Amino acid sequence: MIPIPIILTAVVYSFILSILAMGFTLQYITLSVPNLAYATIAFASTYLTLTFSLMGMVPYTAMPFAFLLGGAISYMLYKLVAYLRNKGTSIVGLMMATIVFDLIIYAGMNIYADYLAQVFKLYAGSFSLSEYDLKIFSIPAILFVSAATSIGLVASFTLMLIKTKFGIAMRAVMENYNLANVHGINTERVLSIAWFFVGGIAGLSGSLYPIWFAMDPWVGARMFISIFAACVVGGLRSIYGSLLGGFLIAFSEIIVTYLLSIYFPWIWAYRAVTSMLIAAVALVEMPSGIAGLIQKWRGG
Amino acid sequence: MIELTIDILTFFCIYVIITLSLNFQHGYAGIFNLGLYFPIIVGALVAAYLPGRLAMLIYGIEGLDFSANNAAVISLLRTNLSSDPLVSIMLLVITLVAATTLCYVLGLLSAYPSLRLPADYLALFMLCAGESLRVIGMQTDWLAGGVMGITIINPFWWLREYSYYGMALFAIAATAAVILVYERMCNSPLGRLLRSIRENELTSESVGKDVNRIKRDTLAFSFTILGLAGVLHAFLMGAVVVGGYTRVDFSFWPWLMMIIGGTGNNMGVFLGTFGLVIMRRIMIVAKHYFWFLPFNVVWFEPILLAIMLAATLIFRPQGIFPEQPMKVSEYVRKVLKLETEE
Repeated sequence: MIPIPIILTAVVYSFILSILAMGFTLQYITLSVPNLAYATIAFASTYLTLTFSLMGMVPYTAMPFAFLLGGAISYMLYKLVAYLRNKGTSIVGLMMATIVFDLIIYAGMNIYADYLAQVFKLYAGSFSLSEYDLKIFSIPAILFVSAATSIGLVASFTLMLIKTKFGIAMRAVMENYNLANVHGINTERVLSIAWFFVGGIAGLSGSLYPIWFAMDPWVGARMFISIFAACVVGGLRSIYGSLLGGFLIAFSEIIVTYLLSIYFPWIWAYRAVTSMLIAAVALVEMPSGIAGLIQKWRGG
Repeated sequence: MIELTIDILTFFCIYVIITLSLNFQHGYAGIFNLGLYFPIIVGALVAAYLPGRLAMLIYGIEGLDFSANNAAVISLLRTNLSSDPLVSIMLLVITLVAATTLCYVLGLLSAYPSLRLPADYLALFMLCAGESLRVIGMQTDWLAGGVMGITIINPFWWLREYSYYGMALFAIAATAAVILVYERMCNSPLGRLLRSIRENELTSESVGKDVNRIKRDTLAFSFTILGLAGVLHAFLMGAVVVGGYTRVDFSFWPWLMMIIGGTGNNMGVFLGTFGLVIMRRIMIVAKHYFWFLPFNVVWFEPILLAIMLAATLIFRPQGIFPEQPMKVSEYVRKVLKLETEE
């Protein structure tokens, strides 16, 4: 029997991870540049949640601001990457450009944590905000909020892609950037908005993280392993595949590791690494991931 | 002043080994690896685990655990090793052989899944592998003291008060050997082959080269040298704190050093490393003058790294010393008729 807190942890984690994996894949498809700063952008907003909680507000009030913060950083990053790409910079150079943002945000988080520690005597280097969470029928509100946020984001994103002119333009840009340009689509504008949107949902997901989990400035680096694993398992270029990959990795990290820890208690400490193991196996055994399997099953 | 100079010099040596290995992988073979710290951590972990325990076996120290009773064991080992240069050197050699062999095998193994990937995902895979190993090291107390780290032996304790200088000299000599090896390899037919693979894999394959095997061997060889850097770093520090082997310090900084110096140019990379090592050391000293700020000045370091990286990518992407045409021997010149005969 799996304890309820473990199941809750797996559910909350899977919602957060799947959204992050989806966003990462989406950004990758648009520019063919893996955004190494993605996880750090997502978790920068955790300090907004912390600040709002310290000000006596419900942590969820930080969500719209987290969306704006994540979106704004992602937009600026896009501008730098697009500028370099137009200059003919290689893929390596473009990935290094994303590292620029990763480093600045990482330093910024640590400076803010130091500031809180020195001025307000709060140890913000590692924190959890679970005590500030609300309860709905004695169940932590984060469960409902993370589920509603994830489902809402995926539904609205799907609707946008299918039903709106912007969504169609975005799909065109993702399929073939040059052809979309020739057809008169303002590709720069479409990509700017797409990166803002994806950065925003990363910020939104990140802002929910400390309400259930312990947070420190290194979480972004550690979570990047899980995000990458989710993308590999889901299929490197499949948005919905990465969503499924996110759920699979999250449940493997929490539920499978828990079940194994009943027989091998030491294994629980290494749960962050299990996702990397799964990714390595997936790369060897099914390089096209879940999306590839589905396509094969459909006879594609 | 002498100690500061030695400190900068040894720090520089470690980074030269790392950046030249990176240049060999990326500058020559075109392998995009962001997980340089993976083999470095392996090297450091071997240095943390192996020599201390071997020395305990040799001197019959029982009833104590190297990791759990670290301070007591180190004190006993220091007493024994201070008068035993033979065992000390033997421990150093065994550690180096074990670490480099392990890194070579791990390089081969990690190449298997990672070389199936496009360049960008290979970089991510290696980055995640490095971070995973860091997590493993931090969670495993018996390996290298976990989060708190562990003190290790110095194989030059027999030099008494000059033991640090002995280790530093050894590191400098090892670095010189690594520079020589890389310089010879890069200016040999192998170097030309690697460049040809970097420029066009398909062309190299079409003339019968096994590109995947060559890339796998290149990765494994670089891993070996990076493992050596890990061992040297651990011995120079006298301790291993796995949490300190971060992607910023042991992967992103070397990348910046290579990019600023000039990718594909060993001399450029050497000079780039020198400039940035000096700058980083100055920053460490300068931080004491910023005591009035409400945060640790050490966080300016990643910001500065980011600014320099961005500036280089925008204004001088080829680096200060761009790649030079290869040195070709007189014989090859004659065969290929590269110069018009008079």
